[in-house]
Amino acid sequence: MKRLVESSGVEVAFREVDVVTTGTFGAMCSSGAIINVGHSDPPIKIEKAWINDVPICHPGAAVDLYIGATSMSERQRLEYGGGHVIEDLVSGKEVELKATAYGTDCYPRTQVKTRLTKDDLNQFYLLNFRNCYQRYNCAVNGSDETIYTYMGKLLPRLRNATFSGAGELNPLMNDPDYETIGIGTRIFLGGSQGYVISEGTQHDPQNSFGTIMVRGDAKQMSPEFLRGASFTGYGNTLYVGLGIPIPILNEGLAKKVAIRDEKIFTNVVDYSVPRKDRPKLAQVSYKELKSGAITVNDRKIKVSSLSSLKTARKIAGTLKSWIANGEFFLTSPVERLPVDSVFKSMRQTEGTPFVVSVMQKPVTCYADEDIRAIAERIVTRSVNHIIVVDEDEKLGGIVTSWDITRAMAEGKTALADIMTRRVVTAKPDEPLDAASRRMAQHNISALPVIDAKRKVLGIVTAEDVSKLLGR
Amino acid sequence: MVKILIKLSEELVAKPTTAEIILEHKVPINIITAHVTSKGGDYLVDIPDESLETVVTAFRKKGAMVTLPKLIEIDKDKCFNCGACVSICPVEAITVAEDKSVNFDQEKCVGSTCSACVEACPARAIKSVKQNNHELENNTH
Repeated sequence: MKRLVESSGVEVAFREVDVVTTGTFGAMCSSGAIINVGHSDPPIKIEKAWINDVPICHPGAAVDLYIGATSMSERQRLEYGGGHVIEDLVSGKEVELKATAYGTDCYPRTQVKTRLTKDDLNQFYLLNFRNCYQRYNCAVNGSDETIYTYMGKLLPRLRNATFSGAGELNPLMNDPDYETIGIGTRIFLGGSQGYVISEGTQHDPQNSFGTIMVRGDAKQMSPEFLRGASFTGYGNTLYVGLGIPIPILNEGLAKKVAIRDEKIFTNVVDYSVPRKDRPKLAQVSYKELKSGAITVNDRKIKVSSLSSLKTARKIAGTLKSWIANGEFFLTSPVERLPVDSVFKSMRQTEGTPFVVSVMQKPVTCYADEDIRAIAERIVTRSVNHIIVVDEDEKLGGIVTSWDITRAMAEGKTALADIMTRRVVTAKPDEPLDAASRRMAQHNISALPVIDAKRKVLGIVTAEDVSKLLGR
Repeated sequence: MVKILIKLSEELVAKPTTAEIILEHKVPINIITAHVTSKGGDYLVDIPDESLETVVTAFRKKGAMVTLPKLIEIDKDKCFNCGACVSICPVEAITVAEDKSVNFDQEKCVGSTCSACVEACPARAIKSVKQNNHELENNTH
């Protein structure tokens, strides 16, 4: 279709093409499945439940459960989660259900343990409250350490980039004004047929970040299009295959579905900054993203996808053959999706602490000082950390009371021999949570606070953090 | 060419061990990766098949440990061709093919000295697999 519009024009394409099929296959964390496990005898009103050790929500009455894709196994943690449970059930595997309850007169049972397959379930519906993001950020890491995110493993100093989404093949990108995709639209979902039931949560159509909420019978689905996944250091998710047929009702739609990757742009975002609004380093097109390399600040960076374009194409192709064979019928939506909704941030009624609010005046020394003088300063100022600075007050290193004790025991006298030169630091405008996390990760108890020129502004200690955050 | 992993002790890295072997036996040794500090180190080296026995014997005589590196293997049934591993690979051993499937080139891969792709795989389809060292022993008796 895209080629036809380019070669013969919108009018011809509109006359010749009835339907364009689209597809995407990516990690969609806001996914899950509703299951009804039936009543046991004696009956139980489930309070807490686990499937294969993964905690399951109990949003309804006695035996209605919701398996969230990101819920983590209590034993295997990041390696197995709700997404994997859904994949296992879809594959026909037997899973173990454990449940506990407080017991009532009508539901006296307090414990149950059993093994189930999808055939034993009354209902097993995929119910995803946010799928099919129209486009997504391209992620990089501008810090000095590898970070593990929902955008995968990001190497330090922009050594790689990742992106998600099918670009010109994405369903919502082909019907950006929601002329044909609405409540009741029949779709390809997980290898079977499903429906759009609403706009998705965080739907932000005005910024080309539209989403949809979908539902489908998971008993009919296939693990080829529904896969549990683990992002190292981040968590579990579910890869969902989703495709939507777009009927070409007018010339305007013929023009819209002709959209190309080079016309779809997204931001390159630095995920090392732990804030809601992260720095945007560049704008790139999906054409560049799919080419394997992007350019940021005149530097070429290797980029790879987190979603499968191969499977996305297969979904669009499968949907096309279903329609051609009369196995899939298009529906017109019973109601339109909002095109003007806004994605708001959380209203926060309490202030967020930043490093600057707890940092203290640093106790410093110079690299050529004698260890004995520093030991005295530790005692008189009653601190555990002394920051080593140069004549411009710039950070040179750090020395702790433990370093001094060990130096004394080993008979060392020069500070240069014992100080730590590769110092983990904090910035004054950084959220305290981020600084606290870094201390825990590096197993240290204080961070010198420095400005952009590495001038020492203060020190933040684990003790001060725990006083404020209560941990 | 054969890739072998050589582990040198603190004592051996203090001396020009590798250079001595190259000069003494006139064997071409191509160092692919090296992690060396004053406390010891390990190299991944490429050597021609015909020099395998000479090189392995020479390093072992000097007291170095010689093994075959673990190999990276991608389970094609588990892999769903997302590509998360592609931009992580430092030696372009993992690439995206024309049909958008993920391709792996064992020849280019540096194996267990890198393994960066293993934890980057959301499908857990990539494993670092130990090679059978018998082959090395049989060739170097």
